[in-house]
Amino acid sequence: MRTLIAVLILSFWMHRLPAQNQFLIYSLKGNVSAIENNKEEKVKVGKLLSATSTLKLDAGATVSLICNEVNLFTLSKPGNYQLSKFGDSCNVNRSSLSASYLKFVWAQLTKPSASVGSNRNAYMQTTGAVTRSLNDIWIDPRLDTINYCEGDFPLSWKCYSDAKEFDFMLFNSSNILEPFYTTSVKKLKISIPSFINRLKPGNTYYWIAAVKGGENEDRKVFNYVKKETYEQLLKKIKSQIKGYESPAEEAFRTAFMLEDAHYLAEAYQYYQKAASLDSANVLYRSTLMAFKKDYEIK
Amino acid sequence: MSMEKHHGHSQKKKQKIHHRITKYLYEKDTLFATLWVFIFIVVLGSLPLNLGFLNPVKLNLKDFDFSDISYSKLSKDQAVPVDSNIVIINIANYDREGIAYLIEKTASYEPKVIGLDATFPGPKEPEKDSMLRNTIRKHKNLVLAVKYLTDSTNKIYPAENYFLEDSLSFGYVNFPHLLTETIRTYYPFRSDDKEKQLMLPSFTSAIIKKYKPELYDGLKKKKDKRTIINYTRRLSQTKAQYYKIEPEALLSDNVEPSLLKGKIVLLGYVNLDPNDIQDKKFTPMNEKYYGKTIPDMNGIVVHANILSMILEKNFVKKMPAWGNILLAVLICWLHMSLFIHYYIESHIWFHLAAKIAQVASAILFVWLGFYLYDRFRLKVDMKLSLLTIILAVDVIYFYEAWAIWMNKKFHYNTIFKPHHH
Repeated sequence: MRTLIAVLILSFWMHRLPAQNQFLIYSLKGNVSAIENNKEEKVKVGKLLSATSTLKLDAGATVSLICNEVNLFTLSKPGNYQLSKFGDSCNVNRSSLSASYLKFVWAQLTKPSASVGSNRNAYMQTTGAVTRSLNDIWIDPRLDTINYCEGDFPLSWKCYSDAKEFDFMLFNSSNILEPFYTTSVKKLKISIPSFINRLKPGNTYYWIAAVKGGENEDRKVFNYVKKETYEQLLKKIKSQIKGYESPAEEAFRTAFMLEDAHYLAEAYQYYQKAASLDSANVLYRSTLMAFKKDYEIK
Repeated sequence: MSMEKHHGHSQKKKQKIHHRITKYLYEKDTLFATLWVFIFIVVLGSLPLNLGFLNPVKLNLKDFDFSDISYSKLSKDQAVPVDSNIVIINIANYDREGIAYLIEKTASYEPKVIGLDATFPGPKEPEKDSMLRNTIRKHKNLVLAVKYLTDSTNKIYPAENYFLEDSLSFGYVNFPHLLTETIRTYYPFRSDDKEKQLMLPSFTSAIIKKYKPELYDGLKKKKDKRTIINYTRRLSQTKAQYYKIEPEALLSDNVEPSLLKGKIVLLGYVNLDPNDIQDKKFTPMNEKYYGKTIPDMNGIVVHANILSMILEKNFVKKMPAWGNILLAVLICWLHMSLFIHYYIESHIWFHLAAKIAQVASAILFVWLGFYLYDRFRLKVDMKLSLLTIILAVDVIYFYEAWAIWMNKKFHYNTIFKPHHH
């Protein structure tokens, strides 16, 4: 009897154990190899790997994998990847049809009827996933994280106390405790070109603003993007419409998509361009005004 | 004591709601008003005028089907695994020589069937044509794509494949839809109108004949029957529910043999760039399920979906027209009873109650349609039912006038009173 119970419990426990994830090589480019049982082997399309395997990508290599025959994901940075760490990419959304239907009905009933471009603020909810610390300084989440390549644009903040002077600090990603650059400002903003020559393109930095002499741990991310990277994005944005588009329409769409991609300084230039190319267009003018107001551009 | 009181109260409330719907359910007026709804639909539908030509709603929804929402918005396909029986090889923009190489290379992996989804309307470069012809002749497990056409005597024949010979297997790739329409159905077989024994198989039926002959016999019963395609899988930049191999990977032997051995391999043009619409069709899986949009699925993926449906015996059953009508009558009758109750007893709330009932019923019955489709693969056309709910409110006004006139003229017995409203 005890054996029977033990077998039953064991089989129940075995049943409850999650099945091990399996990864299939869907496509690949460049040199990609897999390490299985301490043996390294070049992989081919269709190769099935277990979660205990490690994938090795050389520079310039890209590999797409399908986990458990359902989810597709891509790795493109060189390095070694333990597949056991990609468990999240194997999760399947199995929500019921009824629940999805109710969500859909609700989303449709509450969806604004205007196009996304006509209401920038309603659409531009693409801020970071985390909120860090509480202090006297409030920085608009839209300024965390921003990508920057060129152009004049301010980093701004709000202060809940009567402070008249503020410290602006920049940190390297290698040392986010000690600032490599500190300056004092009297306004509630600082222009990016005033400190950009201290940064190197292609790197990520962190910045904070604090009441002078005070502390603020609320680091914001600042990506100084290489010109080639920005130009690639710009090219992609511009190539997305195949039909006719007037220069003003193109500028407005570019600005909107750049803002969505967190290229705020560059988006500002294109919003200005759209408004000047079609000065009679109320939407272009009002969007530019709203953008300037949002980011403290005077 | 208080529990009893509460219980009694909720019981009373239930009875009240029930009473609102059933009080007039069996009245002659409710039945006749329901009948009038259908008379209106028949009369309006048979007017020889295109009343919808300026109606943007009608034009927008011309190619709309409720079940499209379940594909495009309700993630019906989200958890469907890759169909490992089928592998797609992209022929990209390869010429006839390149395609010959791809067939040879594919055949070396020993798949059970190779389907070449490309038509070759006529000769091109002689040396490359010969090369492809020899390759096609060599591989007996190859299925060619043709188009079925009818000649001047209305006889069907396979066309648009220069390499077609009697000894080769082939199937047609045409769909019974216009290029601008959504591909929802296909014919597994087409037979000649006069010579019934002259029958052409579709591309997918010809493939199934070689892959699983026992399923082919079942398909034959669907001769000349428009069969609904049950789309289950996508192939896009973010979702891969079929294995797709790029030609470079195949030609450089960068493919595991087990991926292709014993499988159905489809060779066709695939481009996952949503802006590239070459050989793309509109399908119910389109993200935008109404109005103007761009085609979303390469023809080869449509064929792959048909093959998956056949292999998984996942056919969609369609509710017969009489079933849809019966359902519409039942729904209309219940709504009419509720509307008449408000119309006569609380007219001040009539329009509000009717609008709420219309919206709630629309949501409920559309859900019911999705549920039946998802759970039992039963396609119920809810359009007529929804139309009756919409028309019912206006028909009550007409019916009241008609009933009172009948009452005056012929002493027709009615619950509506003269100058009621």
